[in-house]
Amino acid sequence: MDYLLLALVAGLAAVERKGFLQAMLSRPVALAPVAGLALGDLHGGLVLGPPLELLWLGAVNLGAALPPHETLGAAAVTGGAVLAGRALGTGVTPAVACLTLALVAALAVLGRRTDSLIEEWNVRLAARAEALLEEGSPRAALRANLRGLLLPFAASFALAPLAAAVAAFAVPAALHRFPGARPPLAAGWAALCGFAAAAGARAFRAQRGFGLFAVSFALCAVAARLAGVWR
Amino acid sequence: MRVPRSTLRRVFWRCLFLQAAWNRRGMQNLGFAYAIDPALRRLYADPARRREALRRHLGTFNCHPYTAAAIVGGAIHHEERVAAGEEPESAPLEYKQILQGPLAAVGDSFFWAGLRPFFGALAAAGTLALGWPALVVALVLYNALQMWLRWSFFRAGYRMGDAVVERVASLSLPRWAGRLRSGGAVLAGIAGGLLGARTTAGTAGFALALAAAGAFGGFFALSRGARLLPSAYGAIALGAVAALAFSRLGGGP
Repeated sequence: MDYLLLALVAGLAAVERKGFLQAMLSRPVALAPVAGLALGDLHGGLVLGPPLELLWLGAVNLGAALPPHETLGAAAVTGGAVLAGRALGTGVTPAVACLTLALVAALAVLGRRTDSLIEEWNVRLAARAEALLEEGSPRAALRANLRGLLLPFAASFALAPLAAAVAAFAVPAALHRFPGARPPLAAGWAALCGFAAAAGARAFRAQRGFGLFAVSFALCAVAARLAGVWR
Repeated sequence: MRVPRSTLRRVFWRCLFLQAAWNRRGMQNLGFAYAIDPALRRLYADPARRREALRRHLGTFNCHPYTAAAIVGGAIHHEERVAAGEEPESAPLEYKQILQGPLAAVGDSFFWAGLRPFFGALAAAGTLALGWPALVVALVLYNALQMWLRWSFFRAGYRMGDAVVERVASLSLPRWAGRLRSGGAVLAGIAGGLLGARTTAGTAGFALALAAAGAFGGFFALSRGARLLPSAYGAIALGAVAALAFSRLGGGP
């Protein structure tokens, strides 16, 4: 049931990402909590959403260029981390998040390849629509547009739970086998969170971007640390 | 003949499916024809004329999905005149061809490189600081703004036709995009600082130093053309190795 829910969330998000609406609902910051909620761990989704959003903030569809499939990546990482955390009984810890991301984030790159294949496939849909129009069936011709939503849905429906299943199996097994790996993985997650913020800031390509980013990062980190609000 | 308001609303709704069948040959051609079809049905009672009009709109088209609403509205503006015999059948196509490039550039620069990442960073920072209510507020604000702009573009295109260019230009979107990019860099820094502090809460300062190293080193590497995912794996590996080395020296993250 968990995998079916994750598949549905990932499939619908993939449709929203490009084919319909584009209202940021498929962005990692929104999708991770929804996927976490679907799997019964909203908190885990909220932990993962911000760093994943920052990491893939620059993933935008400019012109005909295809970015990494951040939606598929976020669904797989969230699903995998939540299920692995549940199997371990710890929830989504930094070590779980780090190892899951390392295992399945590359799915976003595979998702880009899938997008490319879907765009090739859609050429046939367009040709079919033209043929139907010539045959005098305009309604049938235009329905082809909505059929274009099926493949992105199906691809994410299949791939996200598959990758999550790999992580849900491999991450608990690895952390049971090597319990001493948790502190280094947690440190790796801390470094990755910093890197994700840098990737987010870099995505804006703002003038004086580094200065703005560095000052706000340093001030906020020190202030939050001193306040100890999360202790 | 004028297209009724209810039909215009239906066309706008269908604009949300503009990229449903994006393809390498005609790009958004199917989506455009799908969107404008309710208006064409109103304007051309003769099936042969309607089919001819649909064929026109199945030509290659590509624009930003938000600003394309202005072109859909403007195409209806011209189709009304074509149906009334006031303009040649080529007028809607010329309108689309002239506007799609500039409006795509404006949309990519303002929405995709400015507004959406700005709200993404805002949502990330808000979630870290205040939890899910801040995320919901950020998403509601973004969508209220983008839907209002999309509807305004559509309505301006329909009412003003070619003059929609002046309407879009009057919004000074490129100038706003520059401000959003600067604000976005600050928000990414705030989100990164909160993330670093939160992730390393309860640990020694070493872990926060790793987050800072990931942030500043990452920015430098990405500025030098490093690829995103390999660099992310590199950050994880360096963090893990540094933690191991630190614990060997008697510390510990």
